[in-house]
Formats: sequence, structure tokens, C-alpha cells
Amino acid sequence: MTFIASAPSVNPPCAAPDRAATPAFEAEDLCKTYKGAHKPALDHVTLAIPRGVIFGMLGPNGAGKTTLLSTLCGLLKPSSGQVRVDGRDVRQEAKGIKRVLGVVPQEPAIYPTLTARENLAYFGRMQGLSGDHLETRIRACLEIGDMAAYADEPVGRFSGGFKRRLNLVIGLIHEPQLLILDEPTVAIDPQSRYFIHQRLRELHAAGVTMILSTHVLEEAEQLCQEIAIINQGRIVAQGPLDTLLKSQPGKTIRVRLDCDPPSTLADTLRLIPGVLAVHLIGRELRLATDRPADVVVPMTVAIQASGIAIVSLSFGTATLEQFFLSRTADGGPH
Amino acid sequence: MENLAKLATSVVKESRIILRDRQALILFFIMPVLFVLILSLALRDAFGDRPGATFAVLAVDEDGGEVGEAVVSAFASSRHFRVERVSRPAPDAAELERAILDGRYKFVILIPAKASEQARRRVEELASNIPPDRLMNRPVELRLLADPTLRVDYLTMVRAGLMGTLRGLEMKLLGKQLEQNLKLLGLPMELPHDLNGTRIFGEVREESLHTGEKHIIPSSVQQNAPAWTLLAMFFLTVPLSVSFIKEREQGSLFRLQTMAVPGWVVLGGKTLPYFIINQIQMASILLVSVYVLPMLGGDRLDIGNAPLALIVLGASASLAAIGFGIAVALFARTAEQATSFSSAVTMIMAALGGILVPLAVMPPLMQHFAMVSPLAWGLNGFLDVFVRGGGVREVLPEALGLLAFSAVCHALAIMRYHARV
Repeated sequence: MTFIASAPSVNPPCAAPDRAATPAFEAEDLCKTYKGAHKPALDHVTLAIPRGVIFGMLGPNGAGKTTLLSTLCGLLKPSSGQVRVDGRDVRQEAKGIKRVLGVVPQEPAIYPTLTARENLAYFGRMQGLSGDHLETRIRACLEIGDMAAYADEPVGRFSGGFKRRLNLVIGLIHEPQLLILDEPTVAIDPQSRYFIHQRLRELHAAGVTMILSTHVLEEAEQLCQEIAIINQGRIVAQGPLDTLLKSQPGKTIRVRLDCDPPSTLADTLRLIPGVLAVHLIGRELRLATDRPADVVVPMTVAIQASGIAIVSLSFGTATLEQFFLSRTADGGPH
Repeated sequence: MENLAKLATSVVKESRIILRDRQALILFFIMPVLFVLILSLALRDAFGDRPGATFAVLAVDEDGGEVGEAVVSAFASSRHFRVERVSRPAPDAAELERAILDGRYKFVILIPAKASEQARRRVEELASNIPPDRLMNRPVELRLLADPTLRVDYLTMVRAGLMGTLRGLEMKLLGKQLEQNLKLLGLPMELPHDLNGTRIFGEVREESLHTGEKHIIPSSVQQNAPAWTLLAMFFLTVPLSVSFIKEREQGSLFRLQTMAVPGWVVLGGKTLPYFIINQIQMASILLVSVYVLPMLGGDRLDIGNAPLALIVLGASASLAAIGFGIAVALFARTAEQATSFSSAVTMIMAALGGILVPLAVMPPLMQHFAMVSPLAWGLNGFLDVFVRGGGVREVLPEALGLLAFSAVCHALAIMRYHARV
């Protein structure tokens, strides 16, 4: 399956060498206060998203994610500050930026009474494609979405997962080098989510820079190389995912087991000196401790004594969820 | 050029969406046509004059003699007429026109001064066997002024009745004169030559008034055809605004905003198909009113002699309706809000604008308020053409008003659209 069609692209060639060092997206001291609002939606946000990464944009509801994304793609005028996309000012060179930028909205932005092919053709023409090139791109996108067999059916009849696939490939019709995805896998079945994740990985491999706004922290953990957490309009954490997680030492030992443990195992583990709490989530065991070195050996012995094998064991780094919660603990209802 | 191609693509996309919605198509085209047919037939007698109605007639009798007497008695003897008689000084022409256009009288019969004397002298000449081409006295001419909205069959009937009265009087005067000749002079009775071809009274000239006055009562079809055309056009604001809001809610409008697509292409692509639908609505309603309605026993719509004026009005009204729809779509937060607001405002504008109840039957205060409704402007424009025989020049004020309304709505919509970007 290929993402970049063999036909010539309407977009400018891939980033020139001098441009490669320029971040794909940059926000500098960005502020946005909506008319009548008491608090700013964006409060001095400074952000740099390097090229070629999948960048996770995380934050609780109302944190300012949508405002930030809308500002980054030039749809919203900031109260102050600057936004550069592909090294160009987003307000002054909006037209040029829009040609290299793809956006995948949260809700499937499609016309239900039109077929998948008609939807792709319409948005393709709106992106300035025509003729054979458009036809080639439509075929490529149908292939990416694995929906060629349903190309001529009204998309209103599609399942939720298929609609989201189409939503994604419409965003790819003009072969964008920069892609903004707003919750692309919300409310779909695991198979469709896996399908979309695979397509995003392939796009990443093809060098496309992506901003992924998501509530599913596991998704961000699996896909993103870098993240930013936004809370109450401020960036509260930003950087490579591994670095961020290592920056917060975890106090939890996570153990994956090869089968469901008996409920008595938790009671046994609680008796080990230094264990503060035990949580059993399916086949995952989580032990909170302030003395991990003292706990690991008796814990392993107790698990093996109950006839269960250990699949994996980790300690020392926080999960993204723990990291996220620690940075957004003061998140209000706004 | 690229943007024009995008506009054409948007029009095709929107047309496809509309054409695939069968229920909407029924609502757009079948419903208004059915309404015109049903209401024009049902209300045929509610507009203009009903059979059995009593018509107010003003006899301006400057003669004060036998002729005036005969005409007034003839009309007074019929229960269908309520005759009022004025003699000298006769009201002037403008006053008489106003009396008719204000609806006080359906007809005015003008009996000229010395009509009886002139008639008698002409009879004497005829009785003296003077050849018709040497008669000194001209035929006496009466005039009949009529309400322009009066049905033609009633007008013909009244004119025939008046002529019958005058013919009767003519025979009576001639008979009297001949009898007098025989008695007094002992002359042998000779019939004057060519009595049948030489009349004492000339043909009654009927004059239907044409004027710039606005509030005249149209016939049922003259009222219903343009009224329902306009209402159908303005009701199209509901699906137009809902479609726009759906596009916004589904995110496709957001997606278009992230593309290099100018706002006018997005708005134009959305509105042009609705403009075409409006024109088809108008054409189908007019065709049904001209050709189908008479087959069902209704009155045929006389569309006047100014097709260009109708095109100008149709286009202006459509642009006004579309502007309103787009403005509602951009200011409403939800489809439900847009539906209830645009349909409520359309109904209020329709009620106020003489769509549901003709302006002419409204009290003067309401007629004054009606002028705030764009539907009233449109309706007046159509009535200018259908009833008053107007052309492009006559409908220009209404068309310009509708275009100004459209421009204001579009400007607000574009400002709102760009305010989001």
C-alpha cells in the first residue's frame, strides 16, 4: 500500500535542506481571548513541532486544544503572538500553507448522500486537483482506506469505522506534508482503530508530520514521538515522550501475567513489607511502593508460588496517564 | 479561473445532494404548485366580486333630465346595484378615480350635461327625415368608469345593461316624436331613413382605470400565484440554512475553511442551486396558473406583457430569500434554531406582507406596516405586472428593495463567516 502516488504532486517539493531544520509548526507567545471570556483560551503558548514526528496534543476538555489547532491551521486569529507553519507566517501566507496542510476533523466531515468517490472528488477539486492527477489520487486514497469495493456507495450507509477511514483519506487527497488530526479514532471499534493506527504509522514512515489531538492516552503512547500537554490554555509539558515519562519517577511496579490471577494473590502481596497498595486490572498487576528494591523479589516469589508466569515487569517510569494526571490535576471545568 | 472551477464543482455537489433528497424535492416543487391550484380554486369567489354581490354605482348626472332619470331608474331597479346619484357640480376626474380605486364604487356612469336636450334634438332631426350624414347633433355619449380589478364578465354585463337601457330610451324618444308629428301636423307617417343605423346614443365607452395606486384588489389567481411563489422562495431558507448548519456541524465547512477555498466560492456553491430551484418554482407556478388552472375551472392568470419584469422580480426575490437563509445559517447555533427562526420569521413576513391576506383588505395602519416586509415588496412588484400592466420600470423600486435586502443579508453573512477565520 503506498501513500505517495506516482503522479506528479501539486504541492511544493519536500522541505528543502535549509528548511529541514525549521520546525513544521511554531507558535510563539500565542494568546487568544474570546470576546466576553474572563480567561484566555490560550495563555502565552510557545510550541515547536519538529518535522517528521507524530506530535500528540493532549489536554482535558476545554483546555484549549481546539483553539490551538484552529490557530495553527490559520482558522482563528490569535489575540497576540505568532504562528508559523512550514516556516511561513500563517496569516500572511495562508493560501500557500493551506496547500501543504491536511486537516482531519474530529467528526467525519463528509457528505452522507454522496458516494465515497464523489466525496473524494469534491474535496480533491477544492484542493485544486483535476484531471488524471485527481483520478490517480482518488484511487490511491480509496486504496489507503481499503474501501475501493465500496467507492460508489453513499457514505451514509457506511459504518462508523468506515466513515472515519474516509474522513482520514479525504485529508490525504492532496498529499499533504503536514497533517492535523483531531481525535481520529474516537468512538470506533478496535479493528478500525488498529487500521487507522497502521495508516498513521505508514504516513509517519513516509515523512509526513502529524499533530494528533487525542483523549486516548494509550493511543498517544503508541503513536507519538513527542507530546505537549495543554491545561487551562497553557502548555504544561512539552517534549519527547520517553524523556517526559522518565522525568517523573514512577512508584508503581507493573506486572503482566500470562493468565488471570486468583483474588487471593492480591491479599498475599499486600502482606509484603513496603507494598502500599495492590490493584488487579485483568491480567495486569499494579503495586504501589516506596521501597521497590525490597518488594520485587518477594513479589516474584509469591506470583510464581500461585502457579502464574510473569510476561513482563516494569518500574521506574510513569505511565502517560500518571504523567498526564500529575500535570493536569488542577484542571478546572472550563 | 481556478476559483470558478471550484464554484462549478460546489454547485454540482450541492445539486447532487438536493436531487437525492426526494422529500425535499416534493416540498420544493409539488407543494407550492398544489397550494396555488387549491387556493386559487377555493378562494376564487373570495377575491374580487362574488355572484350575488351588490355593486356600488355612482351616477354623475350632469344632465338632470330624462336620460339621467332612465339610467338611474334602470340600475336602481336591480337588486345587484346600489346607485348613488350626484348632479352638478360634478366631481372632477381625479376625485372620481379615487372614489373607484378606494373601493367606494365599482362603476361610475357619467351622463354629460344637456344629454337629454341633445338626444331630443337628434330625435327631431331624425324624425324630420334629415339624412344621417347631415345631422347637426352628434350622438349622446355616456362614459362608464370601472374598477380595474373587476372581473371582465361583470363589466361586460353592466355595459350591456346600460346599452340596453339607452336603446330602450332611444326607441321611446323616437316613438314619441313620430307620434307628435302625426298628431300636430297631420302628416302621413314616414319612417326616417336608416333608423337602425342612426343612433341617438353613442356606444358607451368603458374605461378601466390604470394607476400607480398600490392597494387594489387582485383576483384569486393574481394574488395566489405570486404570493405562493414568494412564500415558497422564502421557505427554501429553511432547507438552505439547515444544510449550511449541517455542513458546519459535520465539519465539512471547517474542512473547506482549511483549504484554499475563498468564502464566496463556499457561499456561491451553496446558494446557486437554490437560486435555480427558486426560478423553477416560479416558472412552474406561473405555468400551472396560466394553463392548468383554467382547465380546472379557475381563472387564467394573465401574466401581463412584461416577461423581463417577471424575470427581474423572480431573481431579486430569490436573492433576497437566499441572503436571508444564509444569514440565518451563519448566526443560528443549531439546525433546530435555524428551522424555527427562519420559518417563524417567514410566516410573520408573509402575514404582514399581504401573502396570506391581500394588502387591499387590510386596514390602513396594517398596510403601512406591511411595507417593512420584503415579501410585500415582491408581491407588489408582481401585482404591478399582473394587475396594473406594469413593466421593468414599474417593478424597479420593488426589485431594488429586494436586492438591497439581499445585499445586507449577504454582507452580514460574509462578515460572520470571516469572523470565524
